[in-house]
Amino acid sequence: MRPMFRPLLLMIALVSSTLLAGCAVPPPGNDPEAIAEFKENNDPLEPANRFFYQVNDALDTVLMKPVATIYRGVVPKPVRSVVHNVLNHIATPVVLINDILQGDKDRAGATISRFIVNSTLGLGGVFDMASDLSIPRHDADFGMTLAVWGAPEGAYLFLPILGPSNPRDGIGFAVDTFGLDPLGWVGRGAAVHDLRRARTGISAVDARAEYLDAFDEVKAQALDPYATVRSLTRQYRAARIGEAKRDETGAVKKSP
Amino acid sequence: MIARRFLLAAVPALLALPAHADDTDAARDLVVTLGRQLSEVANTAVTAEERRAAFETLLDGAADIESIARFCLGRFWRTATPEQQRVYTKLFRTVLLRNIAGRAGEYKGVVMEVGKAQRREDDIVVSSIVNRPGNAPNKIDWIVTAAGAPRLIDVVAEGTSLRLTQRSDYSAFLGSHGNKIDILIEALKAQAAAPG
Repeated sequence: MRPMFRPLLLMIALVSSTLLAGCAVPPPGNDPEAIAEFKENNDPLEPANRFFYQVNDALDTVLMKPVATIYRGVVPKPVRSVVHNVLNHIATPVVLINDILQGDKDRAGATISRFIVNSTLGLGGVFDMASDLSIPRHDADFGMTLAVWGAPEGAYLFLPILGPSNPRDGIGFAVDTFGLDPLGWVGRGAAVHDLRRARTGISAVDARAEYLDAFDEVKAQALDPYATVRSLTRQYRAARIGEAKRDETGAVKKSP
Repeated sequence: MIARRFLLAAVPALLALPAHADDTDAARDLVVTLGRQLSEVANTAVTAEERRAAFETLLDGAADIESIARFCLGRFWRTATPEQQRVYTKLFRTVLLRNIAGRAGEYKGVVMEVGKAQRREDDIVVSSIVNRPGNAPNKIDWIVTAAGAPRLIDVVAEGTSLRLTQRSDYSAFLGSHGNKIDILIEALKAQAAAPG
């Protein structure tokens, strides 16, 4: 078995184990409001999801948060910005492919412009000159593409390591990572493998450092951080998908 | 003479103009004013206590805290006794203010560009772009009541609604604590009294 498939298999094994680990008990039938809320939360696997939330939270406390705190404390802001910009720049092809798959000519055009501007004026992605020139970055991933194509979200899943997700985004993540990632086209040698692994690590630290205060705030202010994270991430995701589907005026984007 | 009489008649009409303006304009004005006042407080208030007091005045003036509190308790509002409702609302306000004042440092140097105001169902959505030094711009929507005097009832940051998120937090907490409102009230008391 090629080593690159191992994380995917591990993920599938963990997802299926959450499926077997138990389901949430729906509220009694005589309480329509409680049932409506149960449906709205879209979390039939809540007990298993809460378990993995606890696991991730523990991992975060002993590993990710300290590393991100040190990273933010030791590495000066301009350098962290460069790291962030380069990571975004490397991800541009994945964004572009998804823009195209979503049939969004405007966004695909913006992504190409960003790539050209940042590759040249931005010195190979070191600076995000495109944002300064009012071509802001947007998210596009295969989970979003599936949503634009009309695929349903599926039940809420809190995945080990990866965090808040759902079957649609889980599949999307696998396709982006193992199918669309340009580093995967370059070759499958040890060097590429190490490079990808390093990038994954740096991306995780970069993302965690960016949300250091926001995460702490949620954990400090929420009475039930699990439910708050579930609500926040689902709303955020729905908004990004809404933006991918509709233009500025709120009209549904036309397919090409 | 006729000209002067006409002029005198026109003055009250002109003064009355803002009251006749579209309610979306009133909502937008509320957000513009609130944004300006918030940044004034963040950039000028000297002590933390002064800042907290100033935020309190601003929030009481601009937001309908009671309506927000009621929304956040959701279906449990109706099962709560009037006394529970009263205590809960008071604590909700204290905790909200505390959370906002606690983030005052983040509001320094913030520039808000208020965009258009649009009617959506019973409310008015005022969109804005908030620029924080060293951060990517954030899309913030301010939800303002359309009926009566304009009052702020929600803030939606990048698609995440403050009151929706808060409601799901409270309802999950209540769900795991036997739906007992008194336990929620105790938890809010602890939050209101916590240092920082």
